[in-house]
Amino acid sequence: MNDFAPLTQVDAAVPSGNLNLEPTFRDPAGELRLTVSHALRRIHPSSVEETQAFLASPLRAALEKSGDIIPTAIASAATHPCVAPGELWLEHPRIDPINYPWEWTPAQWRAAAELTLRIAERAVASGWQLKDATPLNILFAGARPILVDALSFERRDPHSSVWLADGQFVRSFLLPLVAAKYLSWPLEATLFVRDGYEPARIYKALRPWQRLNPSLLDVVTLATVLERKGTKQQAARPASARDPELAAHILKKRLARLVKQIRGTAGSPGRSQWSDYTQSATHYQPGDATEKQEFVKNILQRCAPSHVLDIGANTGTYSLMAADSGAKVVAIDADAAALEVLWTKAAHQKRAVTTLVANIARPTPAAGWKNREHFSLLDRLTGRFDVVFLLAVIHHLILREQLPLAHIAGLCASLTRRWLVLEWVPPSDPMYQEWLRGRDNLYGHLNEDDLQRAFAPYFASVDRCELGNGRVLFLLERFPAGGSGTGATSPHAEESLA
Amino acid sequence: MKQILHIFSLFLIFLGALLLFERPAYAYTDPGTGLLAIQAAGSALVATGWYLRRKIYALFHRGPAKDSPEDMPAAVDGEDSSRS
Repeated sequence: MNDFAPLTQVDAAVPSGNLNLEPTFRDPAGELRLTVSHALRRIHPSSVEETQAFLASPLRAALEKSGDIIPTAIASAATHPCVAPGELWLEHPRIDPINYPWEWTPAQWRAAAELTLRIAERAVASGWQLKDATPLNILFAGARPILVDALSFERRDPHSSVWLADGQFVRSFLLPLVAAKYLSWPLEATLFVRDGYEPARIYKALRPWQRLNPSLLDVVTLATVLERKGTKQQAARPASARDPELAAHILKKRLARLVKQIRGTAGSPGRSQWSDYTQSATHYQPGDATEKQEFVKNILQRCAPSHVLDIGANTGTYSLMAADSGAKVVAIDADAAALEVLWTKAAHQKRAVTTLVANIARPTPAAGWKNREHFSLLDRLTGRFDVVFLLAVIHHLILREQLPLAHIAGLCASLTRRWLVLEWVPPSDPMYQEWLRGRDNLYGHLNEDDLQRAFAPYFASVDRCELGNGRVLFLLERFPAGGSGTGATSPHAEESLA
Repeated sequence: MKQILHIFSLFLIFLGALLLFERPAYAYTDPGTGLLAIQAAGSALVATGWYLRRKIYALFHRGPAKDSPEDMPAAVDGEDSSRS
């Protein structure tokens, strides 16, 4: 098998999608390729010596031990045929699903930023430094951030008191958080900026008095003024410190300042329409909620899933339940404030829950150069889960996203390998009525029979539980691919969702 | 008063930055012009504080000055490069 093959050709668990990413090409030190189970890095000859020195360093061992960077091994030709004689290849475990900064909550951004600064500080103390500092070097494995770019390290000139990646850190970590706090720019918008925001862009958007805010004065206002002054000059750096001790001291102070600025972007806990939903839902009596939780708990015991996808996870009651049962959980929700509650719990309790701020009805697109640097959301999720939860979501998809039931069924069939736990919300439900908004002719007549007809091409109904509030829980089992379902001949087959 | 002192210290950064443009920088990432100048100015302030602290220490003690441990939690206590 050729390790260079596109992921679609080597990963049998991925039935469809455009996972044909190209090897990375920006880093002059090496390139990254993905296989089914590993991320492989080919090190360019000019960087072999530096890379080997880092791999042999106590810093690398310490960072791996603390779980702050991805484990690294030398890739051998016996395991990976792509490894040519004389070349240095590194092998890392894959972190799935790959998650991008534009799908993180604000607290995840801060956790990723603080990890970067913590590693930078430890590197300085060990005679190394980070040569770049971008959120794209961080992945969340469950709720924990990890630096995944082992080529980010370079030896530090002991007399140098400048961290050249400082500018990138400010642009790509700090200023998006500043923009989110002071300008309400969504962090999702970073999908469109590879290297973050220039200070001048933030300066222009701030109100005059905000430009004098002490926490913004240096990285936004003064940086903009000095940028204008320096447009005709080359980027310059100050003289080196003669005393290495002083140089390290200056760097540590600079990193401490950045830590403080990152922490300063935290506001009061965000609230949204949905972040208090679990506590404030009046259409659920305590008995209904308990019955629903019992139903889901029994399914988790019965199906014993290893991978669960929770669509519309909200604050994560069922995601955490699935994680407790031993599954690795991916929780998605379009509401960042609600998902932040879940991420905070999962991070503190060290649960295997990966949170992604995303809307399943308008999934994150592929991005980057030629749309082939970053996977789309569905490319990363399709066919990877034993159990998919679609709890209290279907009425949103029908009424707010105006999706036909058959299309929703097709999407669910593409996401799960076997089980689907679905909560049917009938038109009589107060939440359904809230979103119906006079469209009774279109959606007011939908009933359980319509639901079952739409899902029948892909799923068999295995269990059913009607709650006291009229909602109905289903456990559906997917027909095996090419099995007894009529999905292959359905006019609403999942391909139409592409 | 605290606010005025802070703005004054940032004014010093500005002045320092104007004085500190020197050799070209060679980086893998774009270091920026303004952000690099801010870092340079902050470095100058920290260095000034570092030397002054040593001088003051030397007035009252014999032998080399001891450095207090500098680690990340220091940021919580308000220490940073633009305020030294």
